[in-house]
Formats: sequence, C-alpha cells, structure tokens
Amino acid sequence: MHPIAKQSGNAIFVKADNGRAKYKHAPVVDVLDIDNLSKRYGSIQAVDRLSLKVAQGSIYGILGPNGSGKTTTLGMVLDVVRPGSGTYTWFGQPISKETKHRVGALLETPNFYPYLTARKNLQIVADVKGSNYKSILQVLNLVGLEQRKHTTFKGFSLGMKQRLAIAAALLNNPEVLVLDEPTNGLDPEGIAEVRELILKIAAEGKTIILASHLLDEVEKVCTHVAVLQHGQLRAEGRVDTILSAKDQLIIGADSIPEVVEVLRKLPFVEAFQPERDTVHVTLHEGFGSKELNKAMFEAGVTLSRLTLHRKSLEAQFLEIIKSENR
Amino acid sequence: MNLLRIELHKILPYRTVWVILAIYAVLMLLVLYSSSQVTINGRELGYDMYKLPGFWQTLTYTASFFNLLFGILVIVLATDEYTFRTFRQQVIDGLSKAELVLAKFYVILGLGSLSTIFLLILGLYFGLLYTSDLTPAAAFGKIDALAYYFVQATGYMALALFFGILIKKSGLSIIAFIAYAQVIEPLVHLRLPDSADKFMPVKVFKSLTPMPGQNLLDQLTTPTELLTQPYAATLAIGYIALLLLFSYAILKIRDL
Repeated sequence: MHPIAKQSGNAIFVKADNGRAKYKHAPVVDVLDIDNLSKRYGSIQAVDRLSLKVAQGSIYGILGPNGSGKTTTLGMVLDVVRPGSGTYTWFGQPISKETKHRVGALLETPNFYPYLTARKNLQIVADVKGSNYKSILQVLNLVGLEQRKHTTFKGFSLGMKQRLAIAAALLNNPEVLVLDEPTNGLDPEGIAEVRELILKIAAEGKTIILASHLLDEVEKVCTHVAVLQHGQLRAEGRVDTILSAKDQLIIGADSIPEVVEVLRKLPFVEAFQPERDTVHVTLHEGFGSKELNKAMFEAGVTLSRLTLHRKSLEAQFLEIIKSENR
Repeated sequence: MNLLRIELHKILPYRTVWVILAIYAVLMLLVLYSSSQVTINGRELGYDMYKLPGFWQTLTYTASFFNLLFGILVIVLATDEYTFRTFRQQVIDGLSKAELVLAKFYVILGLGSLSTIFLLILGLYFGLLYTSDLTPAAAFGKIDALAYYFVQATGYMALALFFGILIKKSGLSIIAFIAYAQVIEPLVHLRLPDSADKFMPVKVFKSLTPMPGQNLLDQLTTPTELLTQPYAATLAIGYIALLLLFSYAILKIRDL
C-alpha cells in the first residue's frame, strides 16, 4: 500500500519510514479516539479517565505492567466490556458492524472451537466478518499454518494457536489490527516469529495497536507508545522520545571538582551527576565519548576512566512511572 | 441465514450433538416398543397403542419427557461459547449480542423441527403398520399434536438457553434447568391453586402434550386444571419470546 514502507526490509526502517510516510502523505486520521474512558470493578479502578488517539499507519503500543488496564481498555473499545463512563470512536464513528469489519482483533487468548480444524474455524470467522473463504488459505499461508489447516485447534501448540488467531484477525483484510499480548507464553522462537509477522503486516500499511507488558517488545516493534499504570495514562508519544535509551558515560579523574567545572561549561553536556570518584554524564544527541574525552583533554584534565553505560529500558520505564506518580 | 450457516459450521462436526441426538432416538424407540407391553387392569396395552389418530397424542406425550435431553444439548452449545470465549470473539468480529441469541434460537428451531420430523416418521411407521381401519381422516386426525409438541420442545430449549446464558457453566446450568423444570416449579404447583399455577411456564409447556387418558383419570380423582392446547400454545410462545429477551438482556448487560 505504501511503497516507502514496503521497500524497507529492515525492521527498524519499517518503523521509522512507516511513521513518517503516513504523516507526510496522508492527512492524519485518527483510527481510534478514546475520550475519558473509565471502568471500575468493585473497588478497583481498572481504567481511569483514559484518553488517547491512535493515528492511521502507526504501530501503537499500549505498555504497562500486568493489571494496568490494557486488556480492559481494549475490551471496551472492542465492544465486549461495557465502559463505566467515557466514549470512543473508530474512524471517527461510533462502533458498529461496519467499523468492526474494518478491525481485526485478538484479545487476551486465541478463541476458537477446539474440536474444529483450523480451516473450519476460519470459515466461521469469515462468515461472521462477511468475508469470503478465498482469503482463508492466504492468511494461513501468511502465518505459516497452511500445512496444518486440517489439524484441529486443540492439537495446536500455543504458538500455532496464537498465529491462527492472527490469521483470523487478518481475514477480511482489515485496516487496523488489535493485538493483545500476542507473544505471551511463546518460546523465544515463537516470539521472534510473531514479531516478524507484525512488522510484515505493518509494512503493508495497516495500523497496529499492540498491548504488551514487555518494554523491549514495544521498543522493537512500535512507532508510538502509551504507558499505562493503575489504569492511568503515564506517558504518550513517539517511542523514540518516550523510550529514548540515552547512553550515559562514566568518567573518572584525579580531581572530580575540576571535572565538574569543565562539564559545566561544555555545551553538549545534557546532564551530569558527580559521585564519590566518578561522574555520570549524559550527552546531547550526536555526541559521544570521543568528543567528551577531547574536550577534557583540551581543558587540561586527564581522565583516568571513561566507560559507556547503557541505561536499561527497564530503568527508564520505572523512571516514567515514578516521576508521574507523585 | 448467515447466522444459521455459522451455527451449522459449529454443530455438524460436533460429536456431542450427534451422541445426544442418537441417545434420544434410541431411547424413544425403546420406550415405544416396550410401552406396548405395559399391562393396565390385567390387560396388555398391546398394539392398540399404535392406533392412529390416538397414537399422535401418545407419541408426543412420550416424546415430551425427552425435552430435557434437548435442553441439555442447547445448554452445552450455549455454555461452550463462554468456555471457548467464542461469544466474545464473535462480538469483536462483528456480531451483535442480539444476533448471538438469534443464532441460538435458530438452532433451537432446527432441533425442534428435527425432532418433530422424527416423530412424524415414527408415527406414520407404527401407525400405518398397526391401524386397521386406515383412512386419511384417521391417520391425520390429531396430527396437530405434532405442532403443539414443536412449540413445547422450543419452549423447553428456550428455557435451557436462558439458564445456559445466565449461568455460563454447563454443569451448573444443566442442574439448574432440570431442578427448575422437575423440582422447583412442581413444588410451587403444590402450593398454588390450579387456577394460578396453570399459567406457570413449565406447566404451560406440559399442557401442550396432555397425557393420553387424562379425561379418564380426571373422573377418578380431582381433575387437574390445564389450559387448552391452543391457549397454552399462545402463552408458550409468549414465554419463549420473554426467555429470549431475558437472554439478550443478560448478554447486553454483561461483559463477555
């Protein structure tokens, strides 16, 4: 659909191109617009005044720990959980049979009749979605299950069940794919397969909404992310701004106060934090240890230590949650 | 008709359905064969039992006991949708909650028709074999019993569907369904005067296939007050509509 996105084989490129291509060419259409959605289960506020917009063509990650309200939110916008309050629209319209047919979704678990074969199960899905049977083989092919089309669902491994669910979601060629924890319970190979599949589908220009508790998954796959905790939105935006894994440098010298003096004057230093005999430094984009070392040397400071410290995504995630949690 | 096609896709390869239907057919034949050997007042009922047109009434009355079996089948089919979470998936994929109930109602009508046709075949087979003075009037004289039976079967299955959708778990729903139809409502009947309890759903369904020789029995004991068949059928259809509406309301309110 979108040539730029299609050409790029590399996952990272798909991500970047896909996002940009959409913003450049098509006017931004919100595929999903959630406005002040809330849901309470007894004393637990599962979703708390959540508002977010998913733009067309994005791979939108909903990130949060287990029990943060991801599935409840998706359940509400998919018409299977009654919202406590608030509204949502798909393609600018209230939900209807017509909007549902434009969305393929997998919520929590693959839901099929265990005694029916993969193909029979997909026939039922096709009938429900009002699509023809011709695409069944096509989607089975796409998820690599064409050899197992006559196997009953209960005979499938967890990974195969998950892939069948993705195949079912793809029937009727939907514009939007909603995937809730699509790699949950899969082995590393299965996880890699499913992620590759998601990127392959995204490359066709489909919008993907992906709920996950795996930071690394969202970081690898998504263009945009909303971070949820206790049903509240903690952060939202492009993945590269929300989850930018900026590197830290750890430097050591004989005289720390001297180092601090120089760091204060350097324009490309974003932040630094002196410890007992080291200083943790964060630099602006495009600068690295080489520039810092050179600047220090020019200022007459000889570093006794200069190491690169990658800040883990987990640490950043905890920071987001902590900083917004006051 | 798309809904019916979806249901057929689910049901036709489902072994449980065929097993229950086979049990019904075998039991029905067994009962019909053996009941001719029942002795009343020292005299075997014999082949007179199969005489048309009276046999239509005997046949539908006998079949009415197996409505519980059809109820159980409907409960299994409805609760399966919760267990497999396919209700949820189908709503996600585009069906409305009203369509979920409607689809199951089609299944109920289908099963009711199947059973009615089975009874028609049985009736004609035994009837034609054992009725000596066979005229069209005799053969089809009381064939409206089949239509009443159809309404009754539909009624029991609608009640079962309601319990299945309400309770979600197959075992519990089956127990609740049987307990209500066989224990709770009959107990209430004991407490209430006939003039009131004859309007209760299970009693209404039951009065659609009155026991053969009920008139005789009524002369010996205090007569039980039953609605006439046409009146009962009208009320039964009303109950069926109400049960379907309740089922829909439950799905509408509930998170899937």
